[in-house]
Amino acid sequence: MSRQKLERLGVHLPLFPATSVGSFPKPDYLVQARADFSKGRITQQQLEELERKATAFWIAKQEELGVDVLVDGEQYRGDMVAYFAERMPGFTQGGLVRSYGNRYYHKPVITGAVLWPGPITVGWWKYAQGLTAKPVKGMLTGPYTVMDWSFNEHYADRKAACLALADALRQEVQALIAAGCRIIQIDEPALSVRPEELPIAIEAMHRVTNGLDAYFITHACYGAFEYIYPAMLDLPVDNFDLEMSNSGLDMLALFRRHPFTKDISFGVVDVHSHVVEDADTVRRRVEQALTVLPKERVWVDPDCGLKTRTVEEAIEKLRACVAAARAFRN
Amino acid sequence: MTLILSSTGAYPRIGDSSELQLLRRTAALAERGERTAADLADAENEMTRKAMEEQVRAGVELITDGQIRWYDPISHLAGKLAGVEINGLLRFFDTNFYFRQPVLIARPQRLQPMIVDEYRFAANALGQLPLASEKAGKLAVKPVLTGPYTLAKFSLVGAGGDGMSSLAAHAEAYAEALSEELRALAEAGATFLQLDEPAILKYPGDWDIFAAALAKLVTARERVVKSGGRLAIALYVYFRDPGPLYERLAALPVDVLGLDFTYSPNLVDVVASAGSPIPLGLGLVDGRNTRLEDPSAVARTMEKMLPKIAGEMAYLGPSCGLEYLPRDRAYAKLELLERIRAALAGQARLQRGRSHTG
Repeated sequence: MSRQKLERLGVHLPLFPATSVGSFPKPDYLVQARADFSKGRITQQQLEELERKATAFWIAKQEELGVDVLVDGEQYRGDMVAYFAERMPGFTQGGLVRSYGNRYYHKPVITGAVLWPGPITVGWWKYAQGLTAKPVKGMLTGPYTVMDWSFNEHYADRKAACLALADALRQEVQALIAAGCRIIQIDEPALSVRPEELPIAIEAMHRVTNGLDAYFITHACYGAFEYIYPAMLDLPVDNFDLEMSNSGLDMLALFRRHPFTKDISFGVVDVHSHVVEDADTVRRRVEQALTVLPKERVWVDPDCGLKTRTVEEAIEKLRACVAAARAFRN
Repeated sequence: MTLILSSTGAYPRIGDSSELQLLRRTAALAERGERTAADLADAENEMTRKAMEEQVRAGVELITDGQIRWYDPISHLAGKLAGVEINGLLRFFDTNFYFRQPVLIARPQRLQPMIVDEYRFAANALGQLPLASEKAGKLAVKPVLTGPYTLAKFSLVGAGGDGMSSLAAHAEAYAEALSEELRALAEAGATFLQLDEPAILKYPGDWDIFAAALAKLVTARERVVKSGGRLAIALYVYFRDPGPLYERLAALPVDVLGLDFTYSPNLVDVVASAGSPIPLGLGLVDGRNTRLEDPSAVARTMEKMLPKIAGEMAYLGPSCGLEYLPRDRAYAKLELLERIRAALAGQARLQRGRSHTG
């Protein structure tokens, strides 16, 4: 069904499309430039030039490796929620809170009605797509995750905040589609944190995607999926991009009990490990996937964004994904 | 009814000012080898004093040390036990906070104190706070321990931990270690211990394991009392609606039951209907969101429950530790507690006046 949808959208993909989840590590020169920009040592324009350079590097690298559906690598983003919160009216930057150890971040606060400010990601998508003939995914953070990772001082409750965000993000999706984007990934890593709120996430995703003509993917990770499966299949997307390897492919047991009915971007390399998986390890993971999933539905990618790895590790992990996809395709 | 204003655990260790970033700076420099372990301990001491001073200034009467030295609620305790190694990061319930997961390579054993020294430091520091002298005799420090079941639930078994195959065995081993710590805390002068068991709300099917592990600590508490000591155990549960387990929780042999009221608006009615045979910790101030509650509204909510709580005593506090909030909001949430108590007293006066004139 979804493969037919892709064909109808003019996206022709081989079996086992190789892709990646979204983020890639920033080269050292960009890390330095972001630090310089935060201290006022370089201009926004100077920073953007380096972000474009890094984006072009990753597009070229993905093409060289043979990735089928590309991402822009999010070289211009810091945190996946703060990036949108900093651009959407209704948000205020909050004070510092700790995420772990000695790491802190500014958690956004919803202090007014959240609104779409005009295109947020479209410019970057157009730039990245302009560098390649292969499809580039549009990349958004979903309304449930933006809500869950923000404080809410404006809306009556979490649901009201989530649905308001959905209405705003729908306009971003429409803008991406109008720009020519056909594959749009809406990340919801917070999907399983409160299983009782899954209906809210599903309702919000309906608001984002209903009636819009694109192939939709959602990425979820760090999940307690046993609490939301199979109900999560009601999320109105074509493809679930799931962290599989980090949990020892535990989810396959769930799929055996209740068939997985969507396309899947199957995480075959662990993004939290410095060790690059060998070909046999990745091949065995895909073989395991094929014991419960039809080959027409399986995409191959890393577990999650690769931004926490070094540039070299990210490239090698991506190479392992592509090699596995090609081996099974042939 | 005595209403004690209480913290519920952690307090932010950072703020926006340079002064309040002392610990962050020192830890970063220590990671690079540019500061010593003693420098880091000094920074922790300083930020602990500040966390305590802010709690007292906000009007809190039963304070904590802010758990400033804790990497997280799991590894800070488990990592001090023999037989435990500390592994990678895992999300802490539905928060955006990550803890390091313990790996059991042998039966966990307490060969050294876990938080006794931290408690002693805090108890001494309280006496030296300038504001504390005005409230002499009304303030106390409570140590906080994560409970044996929650520690066990988040532990893995590693190579060498073959004899630790079951969750019950993990919980029992942690309970024994924590029981020793409980006795040491009592000897150090603690009279009120907060024991956090948030995991039981998420995994109620483990009730028997949870209750058996808790029983070991209750036994340890009884021994303290029998030998002339004094120690109350306050069991705190949070990060999920405790309503479905409420009556079983309230029947446990602990001295206080602390509840998170932010996950279900129905919990107030559950408590008001069933009552409580023991004093309750009322987590009515949301420790996870920056929005400040209306003191009058919270007071009205409390009025429904207070007459049903045994012991003529309740503890009003945040729904959980406050490290999930920016520092200014954490302080504002604690300040709210006194305003809620004042609103409650005002409403009670109003009602007495009405009944008098009526």
